[in-house]
This record gives sequence, structure tokens and C-alpha cells, in this order.
Amino acid sequence: MNPKSRNSRREMSKALSRVANASVSETLEEQKSIPINNLYRIGVTGAPGAGKSTLISHLASKRVQRDRKIGVIAIDPTSPVSKGSLLGDRIRMETVSDNPNIFIRSIPSRRAHDGLADNTADILWSMEDKNFDEVIVETVGVGQAEYSIRSLVDTVVLVLLPESGDAIQAMKAGILEMADIYVVNKSDLPGAEQMAGDIAVTAARKSGVKEEWIPKVIQTSNNNIDSFRALDEAIESHRIWRSEKVNRDEERRARILYQVQGLIGRRIEELIEVLTDSDLDKTPKEIYEILIENLSKFPK
Amino acid sequence: MALLGKRILIAKPGLDGHDVGAKIIALALRDAGADVIYTGLRKSPLYIARVAVDEDVDAIGLSILSGSHKEIVVQTLECLNELDASDIKIFVGGTIPRDDYEGLIAAGVRGVFTA
Ligand SMILES: Nc1nc2c(ncn2[C@@H]2O[C@H](COP(=O)(O)OP(=O)(O)OP(=O)(O)O)[C@@H](O)[C@H]2O)c(=O)[nH]1
Ligand SMILES: [Mg+2]
Repeated sequence: MNPKSRNSRREMSKALSRVANASVSETLEEQKSIPINNLYRIGVTGAPGAGKSTLISHLASKRVQRDRKIGVIAIDPTSPVSKGSLLGDRIRMETVSDNPNIFIRSIPSRRAHDGLADNTADILWSMEDKNFDEVIVETVGVGQAEYSIRSLVDTVVLVLLPESGDAIQAMKAGILEMADIYVVNKSDLPGAEQMAGDIAVTAARKSGVKEEWIPKVIQTSNNNIDSFRALDEAIESHRIWRSEKVNRDEERRARILYQVQGLIGRRIEELIEVLTDSDLDKTPKEIYEILIENLSKFPK
Repeated sequence: MALLGKRILIAKPGLDGHDVGAKIIALALRDAGADVIYTGLRKSPLYIARVAVDEDVDAIGLSILSGSHKEIVVQTLECLNELDASDIKIFVGGTIPRDDYEGLIAAGVRGVFTA
């Protein structure tokens, strides 16, 4: 089951694949006890092409300077037609790709449409005991990804572009309430200053409560490596704020609920895939009952 | 969808800057159901082997136009072996003279594909 390799990195990498490829029942069998939460989880989300991967590359190189071991889970979409994927995030992470303290794994979104992969929660769960200090998750660039990533990570970084209208769009979608840190990336392009100002005003608005975290707004650019230091520092202050203010029990319960919802969703998909033509000739109620009956058995 | 669930690294060793072929292969493999990762241009055999380990791929496709396919293949296989990953299969594409196919296969390449 766990073949020993003389290369510990290869062994860890293979163990991660086993989790990534596991069926629902295999996953459930593996998750025997609740791991101690060691891993600091950073989620990076934002529209396609906003610069998430490039930013993670810069951020990871800052985080390792804090003497931490960093895992990166980079999610790209599965093609709905072929079920294959082109996992292209890593190309933007070349400069940190062979740093011994940074491990990057590209994964396909598979059946999920919420910006994550359908097994992200299980992958993060398994990373708790693999000697990482932090994990950075890059979501697929789709709308609403903010909501799901929020349930799984400690610090949510939303990457925006300095194009006019983007701030309004973000306000409309309500995503300006989801993130802990707003990054106006590509700030070498015009409009960044204005955009950052708009967001800062909007974000500060919610700080009616004293105990609340006031989201930080940061401008970054690939042309100015130093700009990522401010992002690194903002994450650090959020981390410290959280360690004092956040109710870990409540959070753990919310996470495990998201995880179980994901497992049930995947199990339903597994059961749908094995429905026969004659099952599908029945009424919705009958098909529903078949599914519910099969769902109630422990997956084999 | 013959390649469903397979992970494949398309790698571009050597110094030439032409990767249209590599990208087309990457797309074709995706369309066949594989999860495909591309390294980007000008990567060393050690870099390629390390990425293959971290991404835990089933196979590596080396796209080589530089003429130094023999050296690159041998070095990549050596690096994989060093990282305890010699079970990762290697296939090669690009500009490879027919006379060299046999030598590459003997070195441990699983397939040679050229236009
Ligand atoms: N001008 C400018 N371009 C940038 C900057 N950062 C990234 N880019 C470019 O933006 C493009 C997209 O960058 P990525 O890092 O791949 O963006 P992403 O958000 O990860 O993209 P997806 O994963 O496809 O959603 C690339 O062509 C980058 O070179 C920046 O600071 N300034
Ligand atoms: Mg990306």
C-alpha cells in the first residue's frame, strides 16, 4: 500500500496522488482521525488571467524566506468535453519550481464548478501530516470561487485587475465581502491607484465591529518584485489576527461540513454514472429512490 | 478518452525556442482525456525530472528540435533514476532522424513520434 522510496519527496508525492485519485469509499477509509491542524492555508482567487499563478510564485518565494515549507495546490479546469485538462499554472511558477522547500502540485477541477477541485478538502486534509507549514491554493478563475475557498482556507486573497468597472463588478457580485486581502495586480497598468482606493473605501465600510478584521488592499506588479513583500506582510498580520480572534472549533466544524458535502456530492456522481438505461426509463421519483437507496449503503 | 486519469508532462529541453509542436501535442493529449502539464521552454533534464516527481506523472514527452536528443534522453533517464522515478515512461518527439530511433529505444525511450 505504501511502497517505500529512497526519495522521500517521491514518496510524499505518491501519497498525495493516492488521495487525489481515491474513490469516495477509499477516502472515507483513509480519514480515520481528525488531524491536528498544522497547516496554514492561503487561498488565492480571482478572474482568469488576473495573475494568480505569477503572484503565487512571488509569494511562495517570500514565504520560504520565513523558513517555512510551502505546498502549492494549483487548480485548473477539467475540459467538460474530453475530461482531460491542461494544467498551465506551473509555467508561471518556474522560478520557484525547483526550490527544495516548495512543492507544487497541479490538479484538475474534475466535476467541481466552484473554482476548486471536487476533492480539494480531502487533499488539504492529507497535507496536514506531510511536513508542510503552509499551503497556497490557486482556484480556477471562475465567478463565485470566493465562496468555496472561504470554507477551506485561513486567508483569502482576491486578485483583481486595474481595469475600470472591475471594482463595481466585484461589489455587485458581493465578492468584496469574502476576502481578507485584496490585491490590485498588474499595477503597472493604468487605473490601479483608483481601483485600490475604491476597494479600500468599500472594504473599510464593513468594519463596524471592533473585533473585525479590516481587509487590506495592496497593489502588486510583476515588474516590481518588492511589491509582493507587502502582500507577504499582510498575510502575516492576518495570520496573527486570526490566531487571537478566530474560534477554531467553529471553523473546524464548518470545514468538515464542506468536506462531507463534497464527499456526498461525489458519491452521488459515482452512483449516477452506474445508472442503467432501464433505470433511466423510470419516473424521477423512482430514479430518486434508487439513488437514495444506493446512497444509504456504505460505498464499496 | 483513452488517457482518462493519466498525468503527462510535456517537456521542452534544449535551447531552441520553438514550442508550437509541444503545445499541439499537449492539446491532443488533453483531448484524449489526459491531465497534461507543460514545463515551458529551455528546461534542464534535472528540472524536468524534479517536476515529473512533484507532479507524479505517468509519462514525460520530450520535445526536442536541437539535434542533441541522445544526450538529453540519457541525462533525463539518469536524473529520473536518481530520484527513484525510473518507472516514469519517456517518449520523444521533434526532429529525430529515423536512424536514431533504435538507439533511443535501446536507451529506454518507449516511443518516438515525429511529424
Ligand atoms: N502587465 C502585467 N502582466 C502580468 C503581471 N502578472 C502577470 N501578468 C501576465 O498576465 C498573464 C496571466 O498571468 P497568470 O499568472 O497565468 O494568471 P492566472 O490568474 O494564474 O491565470 P489563470 O490561472 O489562467 O486564471 C500572463 O501573461 C502574465 O505574464 C503583472 O504584474 N503585470
Ligand atoms: Mg493560473
